Amino acid sequence: MEFKAALPIYLQVMMMIKRDIVTGELQLGAKMPSVRDMALQFTINPNTVSRVYRELEREGICFTKRGMGTFVTEEKEKVEQLKEEMAQELVSQFLNGMKQLGISGEEAVRMIKESAEC
Amino acid sequence: MLKLMKYEFRKTMFSKLVLLVVTGLAEILFLTGVFLEWDKGLAIGMVGLLLCTVIGIFYIGLESLIVFHRDLNTKQSYMLFLTPRNSYQVLGSKILENGISIFLAGAFFAVLAAVDVTVAVLYIGGLQEFLDLLKQLSFTWDVEINISRVEILMAFLSSLASWLMMIVTGYLAIVLSATVLAGKRFSGFVSFLLYIALTWVSGMALDRIPSFDNVTLKFWLVIAGAFAVSTVMYAVSGWIMERKLSV
Amino acid sequence: MLECREITKTYGRKTAVDHVSLRFEPGKIYAMLGPNGSGKTTLMKMAVGLVKPNSGSFYYNGEKVGQESRREIAYMSTEPYFYNWMTVKDVGQYYADFFEDFSPEKYAQLIDRMELSMDMKAKTLSSGMMAKLKIAVTMARSAKVYLLDEPLNGIDLLARDEIMASILEATGPEVALVVSSHLVDELERIVDTAVFIKESHLIEVCEVEELRSQWGKSVADRYREIYGHGGESYAEADEI
Repeated sequence: MEFKAALPIYLQVMMMIKRDIVTGELQLGAKMPSVRDMALQFTINPNTVSRVYRELEREGICFTKRGMGTFVTEEKEKVEQLKEEMAQELVSQFLNGMKQLGISGEEAVRMIKESAEC
Repeated sequence: MLKLMKYEFRKTMFSKLVLLVVTGLAEILFLTGVFLEWDKGLAIGMVGLLLCTVIGIFYIGLESLIVFHRDLNTKQSYMLFLTPRNSYQVLGSKILENGISIFLAGAFFAVLAAVDVTVAVLYIGGLQEFLDLLKQLSFTWDVEINISRVEILMAFLSSLASWLMMIVTGYLAIVLSATVLAGKRFSGFVSFLLYIALTWVSGMALDRIPSFDNVTLKFWLVIAGAFAVSTVMYAVSGWIMERKLSV
Repeated sequence: MLECREITKTYGRKTAVDHVSLRFEPGKIYAMLGPNGSGKTTLMKMAVGLVKPNSGSFYYNGEKVGQESRREIAYMSTEPYFYNWMTVKDVGQYYADFFEDFSPEKYAQLIDRMELSMDMKAKTLSSGMMAKLKIAVTMARSAKVYLLDEPLNGIDLLARDEIMASILEATGPEVALVVSSHLVDELERIVDTAVFIKESHLIEVCEVEELRSQWGKSVADRYREIYGHGGESYAEADEI
């Protein structure tokens, strides 16, 4: 897996895990790899993985069972919420990009509609 | 220490094997000479065995210095200096291994010589001559038994002391040149010059020992002095290696 | 855990390490960065006592480094240093003889993964194979501190992953890992802290994720700023 060198790696790994949860690649309640395995799998620092799990836990996306490891949340609403957030993020990125090109919001909506129709 | 000694032995194993093989060849020549009454073979064999004894034992001592020089001046030094052992242990195991090797080699050649003489006398002169020889030997032994024990001890100690002086002086010379020159060229040559200088200095020191008009006392004092000088040089070498030497 | 205070080493007129003070903590991976000849190697060698400083010292848990600290500090040098007569197996036996934390099983496993075999002669190994042997025998110890000097030098891409994996496997809450390199890219994703050394001086110690999140810079970016074109030299910085 390739990372962008100038972005915090823990954020990039978090994004990736979130995406996998939303797309169903990672199922609800699934067990996450141990910190060590995860670090080896991506060739990244174990401290980075710990941080990823910590942050995901703080956001309620993962939880730890004592002595069992880290698991993906079992709450469906959480995933919906994640999906919503990620969609919002994409939309705002898109609108930002359009704005830079000097295209207004309305025009952008029209363009989306057009390309969605064909 | 034993593990360090094991590897010191391993480093010099090859040349010891060579010495053993050459000795074996000379021995074969000698025995063939005895049994087939081939004078030329016997003579070459005898000279060969003598040379093996003298050069072999000398080389075992010299090689210890060569190995030590390499151990300090090449990257192989890390092998020793990365281990959780201190310089005194490293030096000590080198000295012990060399001492034991030389002693064993000496014993080996002595036994070999005794066997060879026995075989030769028995075969050439017959049993009677051999028994005469034994009788003669035991007779002298009987007479001189008291003196000879002390004499043997003195001979042993003096060779021990001179070997120890030589080897420790060599080590100190090598440590000094490695510390100052840090593996540059000529460090071998500089070590040699330092060796000469150190030998001269320690010789001078031992010459200062008063004789008290007693030869035996003087002998013991010189032996004690040699051991003392060796100990000081060992301690100084270890200290420099531990504190100053960069490899 | 392992630290040096105001340590200096000169070779003749050349200063290899100039008044460097540093501290390595357990549970972290450090990248020691700087071009060849900047003093990284000398610094590491002083940490294990191979090179004696002119002034200042290295301390391990408060004690000066030496015989005792070598039990817990594993060092891998850039140069090969095994005896000429040794096979890969002999190298392992040597470490087993001297280091209590050496695991022959782990060694066998690493040798296997690095695609070496026990009967190979150390002397005849190619430089890539030698690099693998050195890392295998070092990582087969379970030391408290690992100092790896340019472990990725002369290693092909495939073997690089194996080496990275064996380095990551050694990490733990009580272990400090220091990896030196004059190339940054490989280390970018595995280190916590980058230590920049330039012309025998310590320039900067920075937390890598912080560098990314606060300044939006990669280690490579910072490296270029410190050493590359457009970056101010240390001498200039000193004058300001």
